[in-house]
Amino acid sequence: MRPSESNAGRRSVRFDPGAIVFVIALAALAIMVVLPLGWLLFTSLQIPDTGRLTLGNYVEAFSKSIYLGPILNSLILATSVATIAVLVGTPLAWLVARSDLPGRALLRAAIVAAFVTPSFLGAQAWMLLAAPNSGWLNKWFVGLTHAEHGPLNIYSLAGAIFVMSLYNIPYTFTFVSGALAGMPAELEDAASILGARSWRRAFTIVLPLALPAIIAGFIMSFLEALAEFGAPAFLLIPARQQVITTQLYLFFQFPARIELAAAYAMPLLLVTAALLFAQRRLIGGKRYTMIGAKGSRHNLIRLGKWRWPVVGLAFVPPLLAIGLPYAALLGTSLSKAWGLGPVPGNLTLHWYQWAIFDNHETQSAILHSFSYGFVAATIALVIAVAVAFAVTRNLVPAGGLLSFVCMAPFVVPGIILAIGFYSAFSHKPLLLYGTAWILILAFATRFLPIAYSNITTALQTLSVDLENAARTLGAGRLRSLFTVTVPLLRTAMLSAWLLVFIPALRELSCAIFLFTPRTAVISTVIFDYSDAGNFEAVATMGILIMAITLTLVTVVYRLLGKSVIEAQA
Amino acid sequence: MSIATRGQFLTLAGGATAALAVPALAEARGAAVNDADVSKLYAAAKKEGKVVWWTAHYAQDAAERVRDAFKAKYPGIDVEFIRQTAQVIYQRLSQDLKAGIHQLDVFASTDEAHYVELKKQNVLAEFAPADIDKIPEQFRNLDTDGTYRVGTLAFVLVNYNPAKIPQPAKRWPQLGDGRFKGQITLGHPAFSGYVGNWVVAMNDIYGWEYFKNIAKNNPKINRSIYDTVTDIVGGERTIGAGPDSLSLEKKAGGNSIDIFYPEDDSVLITAPVGVLKEAPHPNAARLFENFFYSKEYSQALVKSSCFPLRSDVPSVNGAKLDKIRWTRVKVDRLATGVPEVVAKWRETFGV
Repeated sequence: MRPSESNAGRRSVRFDPGAIVFVIALAALAIMVVLPLGWLLFTSLQIPDTGRLTLGNYVEAFSKSIYLGPILNSLILATSVATIAVLVGTPLAWLVARSDLPGRALLRAAIVAAFVTPSFLGAQAWMLLAAPNSGWLNKWFVGLTHAEHGPLNIYSLAGAIFVMSLYNIPYTFTFVSGALAGMPAELEDAASILGARSWRRAFTIVLPLALPAIIAGFIMSFLEALAEFGAPAFLLIPARQQVITTQLYLFFQFPARIELAAAYAMPLLLVTAALLFAQRRLIGGKRYTMIGAKGSRHNLIRLGKWRWPVVGLAFVPPLLAIGLPYAALLGTSLSKAWGLGPVPGNLTLHWYQWAIFDNHETQSAILHSFSYGFVAATIALVIAVAVAFAVTRNLVPAGGLLSFVCMAPFVVPGIILAIGFYSAFSHKPLLLYGTAWILILAFATRFLPIAYSNITTALQTLSVDLENAARTLGAGRLRSLFTVTVPLLRTAMLSAWLLVFIPALRELSCAIFLFTPRTAVISTVIFDYSDAGNFEAVATMGILIMAITLTLVTVVYRLLGKSVIEAQA
Repeated sequence: MSIATRGQFLTLAGGATAALAVPALAEARGAAVNDADVSKLYAAAKKEGKVVWWTAHYAQDAAERVRDAFKAKYPGIDVEFIRQTAQVIYQRLSQDLKAGIHQLDVFASTDEAHYVELKKQNVLAEFAPADIDKIPEQFRNLDTDGTYRVGTLAFVLVNYNPAKIPQPAKRWPQLGDGRFKGQITLGHPAFSGYVGNWVVAMNDIYGWEYFKNIAKNNPKINRSIYDTVTDIVGGERTIGAGPDSLSLEKKAGGNSIDIFYPEDDSVLITAPVGVLKEAPHPNAARLFENFFYSKEYSQALVKSSCFPLRSDVPSVNGAKLDKIRWTRVKVDRLATGVPEVVAKWRETFGV
């Protein structure tokens, strides 16, 4: 911080409208982050009827074996998912970044598609594919081999691990790709000159350098798997296994034990915070963003005769994560009755007609998902810009604390954020439960860290000289922000907005606790239809939500890709 | 109906708000509304424009048929409904009530204990539908105070795939037979009200040992009772403790599924329906509940193979209440029984 600059700012007699925006952002942060987390803690320490403080909730939550079993299951699930995701994601990233693998662009696109597919949808698809007796893959196997049973059982802990791993590969893939692209080529060139062969270079130079990214991928997947609600709810209830998140859901069922849920959530929160802290230390504060990192050109390693076998292997994960599931969902959504299978007489567009035109519930859910996502993304963006601007330009005291508050939701699993929101906003004075606002604010809060880190990164690369020039010429802070900084930030802002909008569009673990039928969104409708065998309806809604999301992602990539090209020119 | 009365009523309802109209109509508390009142209800309901209904009574298709039948009989009133398992809609209603939110008009759970709890909170409206005397007498006064009424009749019985299982379980304990290992599909008492009723009934007749026996057969546990039908029709499992309605509906659709009324009693569920005191559409809510006792409602149910509420509408498979062996769990027992068996269930089945 340059003291003279900030002093000058403070001494300024002129009224600064920028301050109003900032104060509003501050108030919003207090409501969206501090209040729910405070209430979560408070609720966990309270006897609901008397309001007296107690530690009894913690004792009850962590002394009964039926509550402890799910914790063990969650740990097994998260560790396995993270391990598999890393073991698959790392070589894939290496192949795409460093080898002459044919179809690399397609592979990358498929992994992005897996990234935006919610795992509850993947789980639903895999139920159609690999239910032990009725799953299509098992049926084909039995048909071919005349074996008594098919080999696959999606309703098991292993099944849940399998499905969730598929949709977690993209984390490691993205992190490691970023690290590989940013690695200076000179190191490898030097090793090459010294006679190290490509495999040796990969293991002695590339792998150690990529290790922080690999560990970061592991931690992300571990946390994602720990916090995931949809896939375990679909796959593990029939498997008669419980994990932390499904147990939290049960605490909300009659008779609701919100206080127990809050206490039960605390360790999950602490573990998440600790792991993210460890990750920060490991990657040395480096931030990975979706925008391609700049690095030197690497010579692609020739796979030679291994080329085609490797292609075959490399496309297995996308086939399992995207190809088969989407085929299953599409087929089901076009069926009169999914049980009949893909036969000609079974084809219909009925369910699309039903979802888009005939059914009030699905119509309003689609509308809600869009409008809530739109408002949430806008709120998150405004807060992110206001706070990031104030913090990076040293306009306010305690910038570090503010930054921390903006990033804090990152360590809060969706389901726990929802419990905090429910505790804070289901009573006066801030009665938001039952309105769209509780969902909008929850979505905005949940994905605020994405917007904030993107905007901060972009701001850090912008020189303050331009703003200072505007200020010297007499523009107020707000004016210089809007005429100079914002236009320069346009791409970063658009990408930050979309990076909130897209996940908000299909958010389930917050929404399932905070929606009421009047404010149902696509994901909650999918969840509601998922019991009682309404597979056609579920598949149709799933296809619709993904068609929308993938279109948006394509738009983002076009926009971002273009901006990257411009930056290089 | 006198025009003057109707005029007065409309002035009242239209001039102020619907909230004013409720006390006007509900003056005769407990006393049955007559046909003239039904016309008044309809007129007032039309002004409200819609009714919000959460139901666990039947599957999605049946609920859609009921909605369509109501809209056909009473044009101008929209029906917004949610179908979910009983415990889920009850939990959502509880969350709403705790927050003081009133968005629901008609609550249709399958666990009568919910209504006892709601009565304690004094959130149910007393209402005597005009046509309640058209249903079997024994079910006319489910609640002596008239805060809730029977909304549908359904049986939990044995459903199975006759192509794979020539001999279904004829008595409930046979579900513990070794021949059904890996074959059984069940719903979950913590989600489904029907399953809650059934589990309490079995527990009270055979003791918890009954479920320990079934657990040895490694049943697949789902959320809704209708999931058992999906499992059997899809070929995932071959036998379950399931509903009469959707099983018969899928059978009619040509699927390999059938039902068997167990010799040691099917479990009859008299699933209740009630109007909320603070219903945002109070007249439409009452009109809708009264519709439950119309011929059209029972006919709509039968079209979806649900058991008719009125005895003058024949059931789809010719089953008659006095010919089927059935047992029913009394409401007092449900209130204590369901939480009790849910806890035991979790110990035995792990979820």
